[in-house]
Amino acid sequence: MSILLSVSDLCIRTPERTLVEGVSFDVQEGRVTAIVGHSGSGKSLSARAAMGVLDVDPGLHAGSLRYPGFSAERDWFEGVRGQGMRAQRRLARDTAKLRGSYVTYSPQSASSALNPGRSIGQQLAIAISRRQDPAADVGAAIRDVLEEVGLPPRAAYAVPSELSGGMAQRAAVAIAIAPQPRVLIADEPETGLDPVLRRVVTELMLEVASNHGVALMLITHNMDTVHRIADDVIRIGPSTGGAHDA
Amino acid sequence: MPETPIVEFSSVSKTFVLPGAWPWSAKREVHAVRDVSFEVAPGEVVALVGQSGSGKTTVARCVLGLESISAGEIKLEGSRWDNLSERERRARRLKYQYIPQDALSALDPQQTALEAVVESLTVLAGASREDANKRGAEMLESLGLGHRLGALPREMSGGEQRRVTLARVFVLQPALVVADEPTSGLDPDRQESVLEDLITNLPEGAGCILVTHDMAQARAWCHRALVMLEGKVVEELRFPDGQPAHPYSRMLFDPWGEHDFAQSTAF
Repeated sequence: MSILLSVSDLCIRTPERTLVEGVSFDVQEGRVTAIVGHSGSGKSLSARAAMGVLDVDPGLHAGSLRYPGFSAERDWFEGVRGQGMRAQRRLARDTAKLRGSYVTYSPQSASSALNPGRSIGQQLAIAISRRQDPAADVGAAIRDVLEEVGLPPRAAYAVPSELSGGMAQRAAVAIAIAPQPRVLIADEPETGLDPVLRRVVTELMLEVASNHGVALMLITHNMDTVHRIADDVIRIGPSTGGAHDA
Repeated sequence: MPETPIVEFSSVSKTFVLPGAWPWSAKREVHAVRDVSFEVAPGEVVALVGQSGSGKTTVARCVLGLESISAGEIKLEGSRWDNLSERERRARRLKYQYIPQDALSALDPQQTALEAVVESLTVLAGASREDANKRGAEMLESLGLGHRLGALPREMSGGEQRRVTLARVFVLQPALVVADEPTSGLDPDRQESVLEDLITNLPEGAGCILVTHDMAQARAWCHRALVMLEGKVVEELRFPDGQPAHPYSRMLFDPWGEHDFAQSTAF
């Protein structure tokens, strides 16, 4: 199994306190890595750092970020550690080409994360345009992605307000996988969902990740889901860093 | 003589009429609640459980008079509630209180925790400012927020925000509390502690309706659960012993078991 995303010894600080310290994890091809911890423990902050997005000042104090599936040796935090917001903005610009193509993000609340003014088809077309191998027929690609997440072709013409909660969540998964990423980061995809829909969305993510050989990084505080699907578990706690269970 | 129920919900239906996509399109009817009947006795905690879109929140809003009903009858503490005008209801609203799902958007971003509770007492209960300050601080202290009296909502954690919404309600000593998914979005430990604060601080003899889709919560904290599917109550369970018999209830109580998902409506 090859490592597609690697974060080591991550330390993020504000002038007043340390937000994340000593967090390390590898996300591997074809495996599900769960990041667990209480609210405020730094799960989402670590996930954003793993995408090259750091928006706290002074922010990154220590650590390294590697995308071995893209560039074997490059440490993307080189020249950013301890350099403040200006360097972090440069990092965000440098990694922009990878976000939405090599690594994609499925947000916590699908209905509020989808663009309310664009149809699902338009949003999927933008996501498909980020593919490293461009699609020859965008319309066919949209239909394929919708079919894969269990949505009918007519969903392409719907705007998010016309979808039920379950359909919106499926559309968010479709947009996350449409660029054919190597790593999919799902940030608490179950928040606010009822138990049945939680299972359906979790199984859908697992299925599409497995079909495409995508490494799935799941941020959650639902231990029931973690026990059922995760291959690796990273626990993030206040100032305890990341403990790693296999 | 049997005690008068806090809530009597008799054969209530609620239909929403939605406009069509275009002005000339036919209007669409959504039957959100269909012929639902139940009672809540004094001191009883009743859960409304079901998937998203099953009609739980509409029932809760109808109980409080936040939605008009299309058919049926609602009595609160033995007297008719559904046919009152808003002016007549206002005098009684103090006793029937609502705890919202999203605490952050329910709190005024410019009010401290204490100010939010004091406003509840001065505006709704007509208390003097001095008395309201004293009672508000005591209530917040009893919920473990004694050190956060001057904190603004954005400075508080999710659990602390929920406790402020609880304090704002409990300080009024209500006869009925309707809590709409009060722990949504919190991590499991905090969900437990917020629910414990909610149930253990209910005034003596008050009824409570807890809207939730977490069956473990319903079993742990409620006397009964009404399982809702497509606007109807399909099963009533009495805890701690009640076991779900309806296939839909079994699916909600054990979502990872072997089920026929055609029973589900949310996708």
